[in-house]
Amino acid sequence: MPSGALLFQSVILGLLLGGLYALLAAGLTLYFGIMRVVMIAHSAFLILAAYLAWWSHTRLGVDPLLSMVVTVPLFFGAGVLLQRLLLARLRAATLTMMSVLLTFAIAVTIEGLLGYAFTGTQRRIQLGYGSASFGLFGARIAVVKLIAFGLAAVALLTLYLLMKKTTFGWALRATIQHRDAARLVGIETEKVAGYGFGIGLATAAVGGTALALDTTIYPSLHWHWIGPLMAIIVVGGLGSVPGAAMAAMVLGMAQSLLQIPLGTTWAQTIFYLALFATLAFRPQGFFGGRLAQRF
Amino acid sequence: MSQPRSLATEGLTKAFGGVVALDGATVTFRHGQVNALIGPNGSGKTTFFNCVTGMIRPDAGRTTYRGQEITRRSPHAIARAGIGRTFQLCRVFPRMSALDNVLAAVRPHGLAGSLRGAHTRAEVDRARAWLTRLGIEHLAGSEARTMSWGQQKLLELAGVLMSDPETVLLDEPAGGVNPALLDRIGSLVRELNAEGRTFVIVEHNMDLVMSVSDHIVVFDRGRPIAEGPPSLIRSDERVLGAYLGV
Amino acid sequence: MPSASDPTVTPATTGPDPAPTSPEATTTAPKPPTAAAEPAAARPGPATAAGPHPAATGRPESGAAPDGGTTTPATTRVLARGRVGWIVRAVALVALAAAVLSFPSLAPNPYILSAGVVVLNYAVLSTSWNFVGGFTGYISLGHGALAGLGGYGTALLVTKAGLPSFVALAVAALLVAVLAVPIGYAALRVRGASFVIVSIALVLILLLVFQSWASLTGGSRGLVVPRPFPGLLRPEHHRVFYFLFAGLLGLALLAWWLIDRSRFGLGLKAIREDEDKAEALGTPTFAYKLVVFVVSAGFTALAGGLYALWFGDLDPVFQFSILTGSYLVLMALLGGVRHLFGPLVGALVVGIALEYFKVEFGNTPLHLVATGVLLALVVLFMPDGVLPAIGALANRLFGTTQSSIREVTAAQLREERTAGARVDAVAVPGGAQPTKERP
Repeated sequence: MPSGALLFQSVILGLLLGGLYALLAAGLTLYFGIMRVVMIAHSAFLILAAYLAWWSHTRLGVDPLLSMVVTVPLFFGAGVLLQRLLLARLRAATLTMMSVLLTFAIAVTIEGLLGYAFTGTQRRIQLGYGSASFGLFGARIAVVKLIAFGLAAVALLTLYLLMKKTTFGWALRATIQHRDAARLVGIETEKVAGYGFGIGLATAAVGGTALALDTTIYPSLHWHWIGPLMAIIVVGGLGSVPGAAMAAMVLGMAQSLLQIPLGTTWAQTIFYLALFATLAFRPQGFFGGRLAQRF
Repeated sequence: MSQPRSLATEGLTKAFGGVVALDGATVTFRHGQVNALIGPNGSGKTTFFNCVTGMIRPDAGRTTYRGQEITRRSPHAIARAGIGRTFQLCRVFPRMSALDNVLAAVRPHGLAGSLRGAHTRAEVDRARAWLTRLGIEHLAGSEARTMSWGQQKLLELAGVLMSDPETVLLDEPAGGVNPALLDRIGSLVRELNAEGRTFVIVEHNMDLVMSVSDHIVVFDRGRPIAEGPPSLIRSDERVLGAYLGV
Repeated sequence: MPSASDPTVTPATTGPDPAPTSPEATTTAPKPPTAAAEPAAARPGPATAAGPHPAATGRPESGAAPDGGTTTPATTRVLARGRVGWIVRAVALVALAAAVLSFPSLAPNPYILSAGVVVLNYAVLSTSWNFVGGFTGYISLGHGALAGLGGYGTALLVTKAGLPSFVALAVAALLVAVLAVPIGYAALRVRGASFVIVSIALVLILLLVFQSWASLTGGSRGLVVPRPFPGLLRPEHHRVFYFLFAGLLGLALLAWWLIDRSRFGLGLKAIREDEDKAEALGTPTFAYKLVVFVVSAGFTALAGGLYALWFGDLDPVFQFSILTGSYLVLMALLGGVRHLFGPLVGALVVGIALEYFKVEFGNTPLHLVATGVLLALVVLFMPDGVLPAIGALANRLFGTTQSSIREVTAAQLREERTAGARVDAVAVPGGAQPTKERP
């Protein structure tokens, strides 16, 4: 039986990790809700943002957090263009399948370009406050992890307010629920879909910056993220943003706690077990999301 | 009133998010007759079809056919029980030939049956006979996507008929169809009915509904509000109210 | 013009013919301006449905084919074309087999021969992938993992259980097929998206397990597979395995062809076209998808196991690589997923390109970029692959039956009708014309 302090530490770390998962999974499930697209390149953009944060810190000497001033609008624009110029061209009948291949192609291209530009060497940001930590009831918590969590929490809250309180959010939710009906009440669903993709990619920019703060990055790292993220959105119910956030917290916590008896590698398998169990026994997910029943 | 052989629902309910599409719909269709299901847009007619054919699971209520409950069966099992359907916006297999579209409705018997090579002469002949009867035999080799809207509608019907359903559900057969073809579909329904098939037709075109149906059920807000023969429905105040929003 | 909308007064020569006519034909032919006379080929939208004319109004049995005149010759032509098509196909097939089988004796050195084995391996894998991808339209990015399982299964059965190499291969393939049942059950219960997610997750989880479980799999140190023919020199080893892979390819192609022409295959293609519709017509879609997935997994595992016996060394990073899976998709898509030989053609192109890239540029990350860009281009601009495009081109150039026989007949039929309509326009006595003209 692990000590109370270790357990407490794992709970805190699980919470912090879950926050980042929640933000990234929210983006991934958003794309699916809008267009029935499984956006494989989401985590590749995440790593791209992390590289940009690292690059701006080591080459330009700016705080990685400041890189978001550029990356967030940049990624938003890229998301809009991705939807309008590429995904919208695909035939509706085969959209889900072909969009997987297209976004997979984008992911591989980004990975290749990152490898070409920065080599495969592992990179890590060395921050002044990088090793700072503080104690809380016997648990040690790194300051950067807390900052990363704060970033994710603020971004998620912004996303929540955007979707619940604004006209655009209303249009977005209507488009997710029933595209044809949304069009009937005068929503320009194509435009809304484009902006929705932009917002999704913007979450990847924020997440990437948060990731770069305390993680070693390398070009093929995105494969380690896309698996858990896909599992999360299935468990949460495809297309449901609150479901994804909830599933992310639960699975992040589970992973963190399982690391105590199993170690880091085997603890990751919880995501895949949850994925298979969900699809076999409850395909519509555990936290709402009626869409998933048919996809 | 109760007919054990007919298709019937009891308290069928389905909500999408906050929108209640079906609100405890209890309907019994007349076996061996042409039934029509009418009602204003959004009154739940297509959702009703989707629930009955197993494409959507109702939140509550049950469907029975020939005295057996079919509520939770999968769509293909319901199809095999003898209920065939067309879709609101006419669905055919776009990149298959018309003949293959019809042959796709042939039911293989068991594993051995499905691994058999090409279809038997008799099956192909039967498929061609349906194409002939619907007047599109000359298009047997064409891919469905190259056919016109009206031809696709007829092809969809040929496919459904090939599966030899006892009861046929037609979802807006007159949608986007020219007057000549409309007459053709109307007389076809009557002929097939005379041969013993039961029909349930969702339709907005009142000329077609009034001319072909024996029995009309009127839907409003997810449940039936009136039913009866065409002559009665035509003068029913509730029906007028539902349509005109009075 | 009271008679214009009345189909019964239509001249008998043109009236009952519901065929699409060319626009110029409609302007000259004295047809009544009913919707049915409008050019259906242009498909102007639902409103102008050019449905079959009510030729034998109300009595379809009596009418038989609405235009018996053209149907009969068309049918005989289908048969004639079918015979020509068969001969063309048989010749092409023999030529292809001869080319494949003569390659080892033409290969200038053992390296080229081994590259040939690699390409053939890709061809088998891609053809195996196409059982699912081509018939049902479900895209799996995880078939690399099924091949990896076949490879490791074979290797472990040889090294740990002491089975003879080819018995181990068969048992491993069988085990993978059995394992595919629960995987397919989870992946296929709902529609496409979850299948894709499971297929990717499969690669990731297996990579994790096989890297971590070093005591069994050797982890990243690799697993050495004993050679099945220890006495053979390297070129001979390549040659033997070249023919083994060729045999397996033949087997996979045969199975694909058999399914393609079966009722089972028609049901699978119906799923690809419209799954809801297929189910509403009575096709047990879930069972169909599951069966074909298991068949596909079995062939993929056979190819993976044979590769293990040939290559002799397994590393999880290469065996459970998502990139391998994507190569298979790229090959099948590039060649054409609807065609028996599509994946083979794609494997020839992509496989040779991959080998060339490796020699020319070494192991740079640029091969990722090349793969990504090529895949994106195929998805965006050529989702049907090169074979249909070549077929269409050949049709236009020679009028032969390179692609589907049926498509050609349909086009032919339409053309003939257009010609017929023009003749009618001339043949109809001029006296009938004025009454139809606008005042």
